[in-house]
Amino acid sequence: MAKLKIGGLKQSLELCQFNLRGLDSSEEIASKVSKLLLSQKINMEFLTYYPHRNSYHQLTFCISQDKFSTTSEILKKEGSLPIGWEINSRGQVGIITIFPHQSAIKILGVIMVSWAAQSIPIYGIATSLSAISFVTDYQLIDKATDVIQDLFQLPEDHAPLKSEIRYCQSDIVKGD
Amino acid sequence: METIAVYWEPRIKTYGFQRITDLALIEFSCPLSKIKPLGEILSQDDLIVLRPKFIIAQVSNHEISFIICLPLKESKDFHTSLEKTSSPTLHKYIHPVSIIFFHGPHFGDRYGIANATFSSLSKAGLKIIASGCSSASVFLVLAQHDIDKAEEILSETFEVAK
Repeated sequence: MAKLKIGGLKQSLELCQFNLRGLDSSEEIASKVSKLLLSQKINMEFLTYYPHRNSYHQLTFCISQDKFSTTSEILKKEGSLPIGWEINSRGQVGIITIFPHQSAIKILGVIMVSWAAQSIPIYGIATSLSAISFVTDYQLIDKATDVIQDLFQLPEDHAPLKSEIRYCQSDIVKGD
Repeated sequence: METIAVYWEPRIKTYGFQRITDLALIEFSCPLSKIKPLGEILSQDDLIVLRPKFIIAQVSNHEISFIICLPLKESKDFHTSLEKTSSPTLHKYIHPVSIIFFHGPHFGDRYGIANATFSSLSKAGLKIIASGCSSASVFLVLAQHDIDKAEEILSETFEVAK
């Protein structure tokens, strides 16, 4: 059977993930947490937010692994989050982003089946206009990538899987 | 290699706002132990016609929840096909909803984008139904009647690059 075609594949650097969960509060959680992270100049590379059933809201985000301790500290500080909100964190995660031409649901289903068969976990998913991003264990990211490469047909002139450049934002201009 | 980018922007620049209207949001979940059977359902050939505009999945308490936005007609068919299965469990079917999305230079690598987005909408009293930010894009799902106001607020917060 012909392999489904995808447009590309990309791996993130090493990240960590935070899941915040709690009841609806007067202060909107995504706004509150993004403000806290801005105060430490921490970028959220991945974010999902949804008010689930039973009034529970969940905010999940991924940041660089080297910001894990700083972020844990600011979130756990009294008053950072509304009362009763749970914080669950997970170190050493990575994101695999797939650029599908089409058939996003089919691609999603095929990956769920194949990763489950190889005990590769999914910790989060988000789509953009042309891509699907999966959060998984960073230690399994190469194995997860191999599974995808076996399942789908990539373009011959495919770009490198791993980013060769790490971009950082700064408000200080370094001299030569 | 590390590249440091310095941005001096009175307002964060974006390439512009796009919207998709007349959608329905479907939420369903299954235990993590049942992710493989759910994948088998989603990979069926009769679902290949679906063109989801937004998908997120979140994990908590050994369960994975999916939130998918589809055009109204497709959403009815998808909802009906899920109802016929014993798993996953359907939770919400909301319509009409709209999506507003945007991206900008190195949005995936820069701090402050999420704060500018969520703070401005929160201050304006707009309720976000769902959001997903990945690959340098920000996607927001709102009630259809809130979409004009959301674009107005975001246009004041961000500068559309010319």
